[in-house]
Amino acid sequence: MAMKKSSIKNNSYTYGFHKLEKSSFKTPLGINEKIVKAISAYKNESLWMKEFRLRALNIFEKKKMPSFGPDLSKLNFDKLCFYNSPSNNKFRKWSDVPKDILDTYNKIGVPEAERKFLAGVEAQYDSEVIYSNLKNHWEKLGVIFTDMDTAVKEYPELVKEYLGTLVPVDDNKFSALNSAVWSGGSFIYVPKGISVPIPLQAYFRINAKAVGQFERTIIIAEEGSFVHYIEGCSAPIYTNDSLHAAVVEVFVKKGARVRYTSIQNWSGSVYNLVTKRMQIEENGIGEWVDGNLGSKVNMKYPALVLKGKGAHGELLSLAYAGKNQYQDTGGKAIHLAPNTTSILISKSVSRSGGRASYRGLVKIAKGAKGSKSHVRCDALLLDDKSRSDTYPVNDVQEQDVTLGHEASVSKVGEEQLFYLMSRGLNEIQATSLIVNGFIEPIVKELPLEYAVELNRLINLSMEGAIA
Amino acid sequence: MKNIIIKKNENLVLPVIWSGKEKEVNYDIKLTGVNSSLTLLMLLLGKKEDKVKIQVNVDHQVIETKSRIIVKGIVDDSANVDFNGLVRIEKGAKGSNTWLSANLLLLSDSAEGRAVPALEILENDVKAGHATTIGKINDAELFYLMSRGLSKAKATDLIVRGFLNGFLDYEK
Repeated sequence: MAMKKSSIKNNSYTYGFHKLEKSSFKTPLGINEKIVKAISAYKNESLWMKEFRLRALNIFEKKKMPSFGPDLSKLNFDKLCFYNSPSNNKFRKWSDVPKDILDTYNKIGVPEAERKFLAGVEAQYDSEVIYSNLKNHWEKLGVIFTDMDTAVKEYPELVKEYLGTLVPVDDNKFSALNSAVWSGGSFIYVPKGISVPIPLQAYFRINAKAVGQFERTIIIAEEGSFVHYIEGCSAPIYTNDSLHAAVVEVFVKKGARVRYTSIQNWSGSVYNLVTKRMQIEENGIGEWVDGNLGSKVNMKYPALVLKGKGAHGELLSLAYAGKNQYQDTGGKAIHLAPNTTSILISKSVSRSGGRASYRGLVKIAKGAKGSKSHVRCDALLLDDKSRSDTYPVNDVQEQDVTLGHEASVSKVGEEQLFYLMSRGLNEIQATSLIVNGFIEPIVKELPLEYAVELNRLINLSMEGAIA
Repeated sequence: MKNIIIKKNENLVLPVIWSGKEKEVNYDIKLTGVNSSLTLLMLLLGKKEDKVKIQVNVDHQVIETKSRIIVKGIVDDSANVDFNGLVRIEKGAKGSNTWLSANLLLLSDSAEGRAVPALEILENDVKAGHATTIGKINDAELFYLMSRGLSKAKATDLIVRGFLNGFLDYEK
């Protein structure tokens, strides 16, 4: 069979539109003590938070850039804006949201999604959570679902107890940066024995040119509780590089279960450097479902810290690297207690010169007897310009364990293509079908609206990929 | 560091045994000729306080090259094995094929193993795979053999032999 040579068209970014900025407060470019103080003062924060930020700034300045993975030397902190708020108001209802912001959400389909699936939306526009709509019955159950700024004011003791305990300020340069200039993000507290039946969802969007986004999210699931949190990002196109550096800390108490679903679809100029960690206590279950479609450079390795006996962690990771994209993703499972189990599954697709790397760590500490870990990572290379790497670290300090790792790198099989095309599909349809089939094990775990959007995105990008 | 270059139509079978002497074992192997192949069979036998760091780099530079890197380790007592493999398939090395596997069997409670089987693939018309296992002897297998009348030592011996026999059917 004669295969046509693939050629690459420059696709315009599917959701690449952005509204005029309507900022009410914006710091000058760069980061220093004055700017951090200004952010804290603007937010009317108490002294402890201001001191937390200043201490973090000090650590940020001393910390070195990561020594592995993508080149971050083009990231210029002096040319970034570290705080930018679109509005001083917070909105309880969609009808109160300014029209230009609402338009943007309409195009992405958030209101429809809410009608069908979501009982509450936390929307972040620039650096401020502007919309918050919580169902009353959750409040009656004692579930707290709010933005982080509000949490710091209304539940300072709870925030103090957990903030920075799982991802310490000095964990890495970007966790320190986030601690210094953080803004927005979600705060979730689920009391003992409470199961939240409908996913809690946040929708992030950055709109101001070269603005950095530094959400801080904390989820606390008390004993025997359950919550599913969904976070999705879709960003407009900028010419300047933009930075996104979030920190997420999830606490899964005894017998509790938390699922954290995250779809990252930043535009092609964004550096996405995120630290996400989940601590799972006795017999708890923690799950990361992590989709990485956008951004220029993405470094994200959600971690599972299996701290209590019988704790179970899962990671499903999907990376899609297109033209000029470097997806450096993966995950970590750290087994600290006996009979803990983890499953890490990663799928990556590289196309049009994109580079996808899996960087993983499984560590089984001394004493974590009877622990089991299974890692599987598969990569699909769609053309001869692209690249795929796998850097899996498997570190075992305990004898009584089972650890397995397997991986494969492949291209779209000519036999598969030939079969589908002999059944009447054209090459684009056939390739799309194969790619969608390849990522299906992860997509099936996504909420419906995300799965639909993902399939559409894959089909769209294939149309540009094959002439 | 041992540097090896494999030329056109050359098929190199390289057996390596480590039994505790060296602190470091390093190989840098380049497949520079069309239709060249490498089979690296590495047997690691660690006991007492033996400690080793192994680095194996394999670079597929041209089309139609093939590599098989099979590492089997028996780690006993307080031994510590750290295996780092990196196979790179360069852009344009079409039709290349690699398989990198590392299996470490921990025989004692204080034995430790670390395995990093890394791949860097810059060409899509290739086959590449890797696999790792680290763990102890399967309790169910041990129980089965002992229920058939073998002593624990005898059963363990049989399982270890079976584990190492896997060497001979590396062709995958």
